[in-house]
Amino acid sequence: MTTAEAAQVAVKEKRRRPVLRYVLKRVAIVPISLFILGSVSFFLVFLIPGDPAITILGDFATKEQIAHVNSQLGLDKPLMERYFSFWANLLQGDLGTSFFTNEPILHELGKFLPNTIELVFFALIFAITLGMTIGVIGAYFARRMPDRLMSGITSVLQSVPDFFLALVGIYVFFFLLGWAPAPIGRLPITSGSADGTPFLIFNSLFTGNWDRLGEAVSHAALPVMSLGLVYASYFAKTARGSMGTALTTPQVEFARACGLRERTVVYYAFAASRTTVITYIAILFGSLLGGAAIVERVFNWRGMGQWALDGVLKVDVPIIQGFVVTAGLLTLTLFLLLDLVVLFLDPRVSYE
Amino acid sequence: MSDTTFAQPSALSQVFTKTVNYVRASPGIVVGGGMLALMLLASFLAPLPYDPMTPDPTAVLKAPSGEYIFGTDANGFDVFSRVIAAGRSDLPLALMGTLASLVIGLLIGLPLSVKSKWSEGFMRALDAFQSFPLIVLSVTIVSLTGNDIQNILYAIVIINGPRFIRLIRGEALSIRDGRFIEAAIATGARPRRVVFRHIMPNVVDVCLVQCSLTTANAVIVIAALNFLGIGVSPPTPTWGSMVQVGAQAISTGQWWIAIWPGVAIFIAIASLNMLANGIQRQVEGS
Repeated sequence: MTTAEAAQVAVKEKRRRPVLRYVLKRVAIVPISLFILGSVSFFLVFLIPGDPAITILGDFATKEQIAHVNSQLGLDKPLMERYFSFWANLLQGDLGTSFFTNEPILHELGKFLPNTIELVFFALIFAITLGMTIGVIGAYFARRMPDRLMSGITSVLQSVPDFFLALVGIYVFFFLLGWAPAPIGRLPITSGSADGTPFLIFNSLFTGNWDRLGEAVSHAALPVMSLGLVYASYFAKTARGSMGTALTTPQVEFARACGLRERTVVYYAFAASRTTVITYIAILFGSLLGGAAIVERVFNWRGMGQWALDGVLKVDVPIIQGFVVTAGLLTLTLFLLLDLVVLFLDPRVSYE
Repeated sequence: MSDTTFAQPSALSQVFTKTVNYVRASPGIVVGGGMLALMLLASFLAPLPYDPMTPDPTAVLKAPSGEYIFGTDANGFDVFSRVIAAGRSDLPLALMGTLASLVIGLLIGLPLSVKSKWSEGFMRALDAFQSFPLIVLSVTIVSLTGNDIQNILYAIVIINGPRFIRLIRGEALSIRDGRFIEAAIATGARPRRVVFRHIMPNVVDVCLVQCSLTTANAVIVIAALNFLGIGVSPPTPTWGSMVQVGAQAISTGQWWIAIWPGVAIFIAIASLNMLANGIQRQVEGS
């Protein structure tokens, strides 16, 4: 075989199964990202100015306390050794223990992460339903009265900080109207701690515990709404943009010319713009994992964001590292899934 | 022939027509920019009925009335004076953060517009960085490096710098295809001159839009961080910390402590968004 023939074979090999190559390439990035993620969370500690032990314990710490924290941080060992043992632990799923509660980070994550996922899940569903409706109506009646109204609503929603909306919600629906329960967590105080049951709403739904489901849903309503309303503006903007473009494409004109029902035409336009919306879902899910923190705090939701915030404010290093690693890991997985779903839905994406 | 032979419209009516035309062309710029200017002027020049830094222990949790227009909080601070005074730190800080993000965006985004494997790699890294919950990362960095107001600036830059980099790079990449760039290179312009003399002036439009959006985002970031007690040195008023103080009283019905600073945040963000829309429309129209 000559070199030219070999090159041709190589080119053919390259052309064959571009999808598989793309997927493999995409998956191959994951370990690299993981390595960067782990290293970032390790080196975050070095941002603490001066002696970390004193920053953590305050100025009045005793020598023994400082030595204890230093040995827990491993600051008495050389840098490389610490770095390697950090990775050894991380790969075994050991994220260390919290300085303040002395609980394993993994255990705490198991307690708080499901709460956040549940909150974000329902908030996103709310946001998507509302935002898409606003955006699609706006795009359909482009430059007419409903479009102006919808874009007005969008810009109002866009301008409210979520924690402020949460407070207004508490005032109106809890204090004035008495429809919503007090913002003290995921269940009323009388029901005891809800920490034992992760995924409270799903759990109650599937076990048929209707009383608890009602309580859980009524406690979730305000936080879900205050996050959902704010994030609806993102979906409204995206949907307005992509539907606006999709409704002016030749295939929509063709569909209309064929005499299809208006509903079907809108559905086709929607299908053409869904990848943008799906991309937005993934991005917002990732940012809400931590972005819900303040709303979680206002409602004492005991989610991952609130936990991380408390950890951050107390300089609880293992919690910070645990949060960075977990949130990063979830985001990476989500984006991998996103790329594969988009590839499946829209084969036109370039494989390079 | 002297000018007086023509029936000249009076100067006043000329100004009036010009203004009307301008508002018609882009109401967003005028209304948004006007509201923003008004807020800045008010926070620095408006006379305050009470000292925003000294509480009056005899007037605690007073509802809004003629004496205290916005009421007083649990410490006896006058809410109105504090809402106005908070603009002095919040608004300039947001503008400074935006300026810093813009500079970072120009310094990194423009050189990255030269297509190479290296710049592609950098963009991938930026993707990974941006996919992270940045608000928590900035809270982490701010609280680890110290509870300092200038650290809020870093937080704003961390969140918004990447957006500027991406935007400026994208815009510069499309500008690079233009004939005039080809012409500049053909006449022997060095790469640095091409970037700064020929590309940079053309990214100004998109930067202006992004700047007002970023300032809006910065107002939220500052409020969120202050709400968490980061970058606040009591009793200096900030909108975020005032909302935080009011949050404790809202479930017992004292709404005015949290609502007024919240309304101030809302007006600031709304006017910045309006400004951004207005500029966007102007850019698209031209």
